Amino acid sequence: MTMKASENYFDIDDILASNERIPCRVELPIYRLGYLDSSHESEHLLPGTKIEFPYWLGRAVCSRRRHIVRVDLPKQYREGYREILSADATVVDLHKLGPYYYSFGTKLLHFEHVASADIAKSMVKTFQTRFRKIMDSSQNAYNEDTSKLTEKLDEAERSLFRSGQFGLHDFQRWETRKTEKLTTSNMVRNHQKRKRNVMDSNVD
Amino acid sequence: MDPAEVEFLAEKELITVVPKFSFDRIYLIGGDIGPFSAGLPIDVPLWLAVNLKQRQKCRIRPPEWMDREKLQGKKQEEMDSKFFIEMPNQHYMEITQLLLKYAPDDIPHADEMRTLIKDLWDLRMAKLRSSIDTFVRSDATHAKLNHLTLMELNTVRLFLTNSLDQLYVLRSNLSGKVQATQE
Amino acid sequence: MSTLEDLKDESGEEVETMTAAEVLRKLEEAWLNEKFAEDLLEAKTDLVECMMEQISEMEDNISRAKKGDFKVSIHRLEIDRIRYVLSSYLRSRLLKIEKFATHLLEEEKVRKDDEPSKLSPEEFTFAKDYDKSLESHLRNLALRHMPAHIQSLDPKQIAVRPNLDKYVFLRVNEDTEGVLVEEETLDTGEEIVDMKRGDQHIMRYRPVAPLVASGAVSLI
Repeated sequence: MTMKASENYFDIDDILASNERIPCRVELPIYRLGYLDSSHESEHLLPGTKIEFPYWLGRAVCSRRRHIVRVDLPKQYREGYREILSADATVVDLHKLGPYYYSFGTKLLHFEHVASADIAKSMVKTFQTRFRKIMDSSQNAYNEDTSKLTEKLDEAERSLFRSGQFGLHDFQRWETRKTEKLTTSNMVRNHQKRKRNVMDSNVD
Repeated sequence: MDPAEVEFLAEKELITVVPKFSFDRIYLIGGDIGPFSAGLPIDVPLWLAVNLKQRQKCRIRPPEWMDREKLQGKKQEEMDSKFFIEMPNQHYMEITQLLLKYAPDDIPHADEMRTLIKDLWDLRMAKLRSSIDTFVRSDATHAKLNHLTLMELNTVRLFLTNSLDQLYVLRSNLSGKVQATQE
Repeated sequence: MSTLEDLKDESGEEVETMTAAEVLRKLEEAWLNEKFAEDLLEAKTDLVECMMEQISEMEDNISRAKKGDFKVSIHRLEIDRIRYVLSSYLRSRLLKIEKFATHLLEEEKVRKDDEPSKLSPEEFTFAKDYDKSLESHLRNLALRHMPAHIQSLDPKQIAVRPNLDKYVFLRVNEDTEGVLVEEETLDTGEEIVDMKRGDQHIMRYRPVAPLVASGAVSLI
């Protein structure tokens, strides 16, 4: 995955990242959409209501042209969290704060919040600081369960980890001359497995 | 790129063989080879050398650099140098692999060569990882990679390019460059 | 050794004579550039056709050779190697044509007559067919089940475009001075690099794309 939205309209990671929620405060009444706020029973969304919208919706109702809601920063991008990251980014569980921490953070900059410049700087620094650990773990782990190594990584970082592993595995397969042996492709294997499952369930 | 494709490119390197047969010049599309005279050393592409060796039609002369003293010297040089030193051949890893697999009887001290080359590779990959880290933490947006071989670059290709792609997006956030294209 | 009279060089201006070995070397370079470039490069139709001819000529010769002739197996090996390069080259182009079909057809529409097309005639047909199938697939699978007012898809919006800012490895073939690697921004000045023959670099593809096309650098 990449963090750049323009590359592929159907990029599933980008779609998921734009589904992350942002806290909003309603500024102009939004008629007949009261049901979006489950904590109230009014028919309309009234000014002053606090509500969480997915990013894509927030983007549609809060822009330079249209100011139907005011958008606040999600807490994981506020100063408190930025301080934690600047103290030691390597220990932070970015997946819990994300899982699309960088990608969603990049999108948030559209709202031109006063802290935008600081968020952008913090993300660069965070990425640079966490980089070495991701590289080393992806280049050293061979034939082992990697879920522990990646559990605290944001989705973009996980994708980097996978590219590192890909390069390492490819090389090691070549070095041990395993590329010369023909093996069944994953697809065939999964298909066989599926068939077996179907047969098993028929027996039951 | 698949490492097998890097090996494919390495197979174009010339290597000296001592044929056990005599034969006229052969006009290949990529250039002429031969004529072959039994017992007379001649340079041929590695792909052909390996093929002839498999058919027991030649002996392969190990390249000059495939030598205990020379490689030990390179190893020391690599350890002492902050930068990457120039390898005796830009395909040292692939050539070693191929020769040790298909012509181990033609390589004196084959096991020792394997170990020395592997040591060099490991030293250089560790150095490459620290340079990558230094690069990513710096403000630099591009780097010179002289003396790194294709197989070395290829092993970190996806990881390094993807990392820099991500960093580029994050850096562009600072100036608002990328956002404009996203609208 | 055969020479090939009517082969145009890259600029298409002069007619040069190239040996088969030179054509092969150029094809191999085109193969690697195509493999690593983010966008679709200009089709090297001349090189491909010339190599195909060489191969079929060679195969004719082989079929006439005596049974068990020593050199036949060597020619076969070489042909296999060249075939690999050819098909890998064409295949990496097809992958990009599928990925960027809509975008490439858009480009083709606004292309001026004096600009060369990136697509060979066969590739152009393929791109059109592929784009049409994709569109009708999306329509049959999803769009026709949508409410009437959101049944349209804007091809401009959904088109996948090459991201030229991706990083690439390159080797310099000709000394090239003053390559603008980074434009000036608010916080940083512009960055200019002098490239020396034989140097290897990693940088974004965008600033070197014209140098790849001209042959001054090769992607590795």
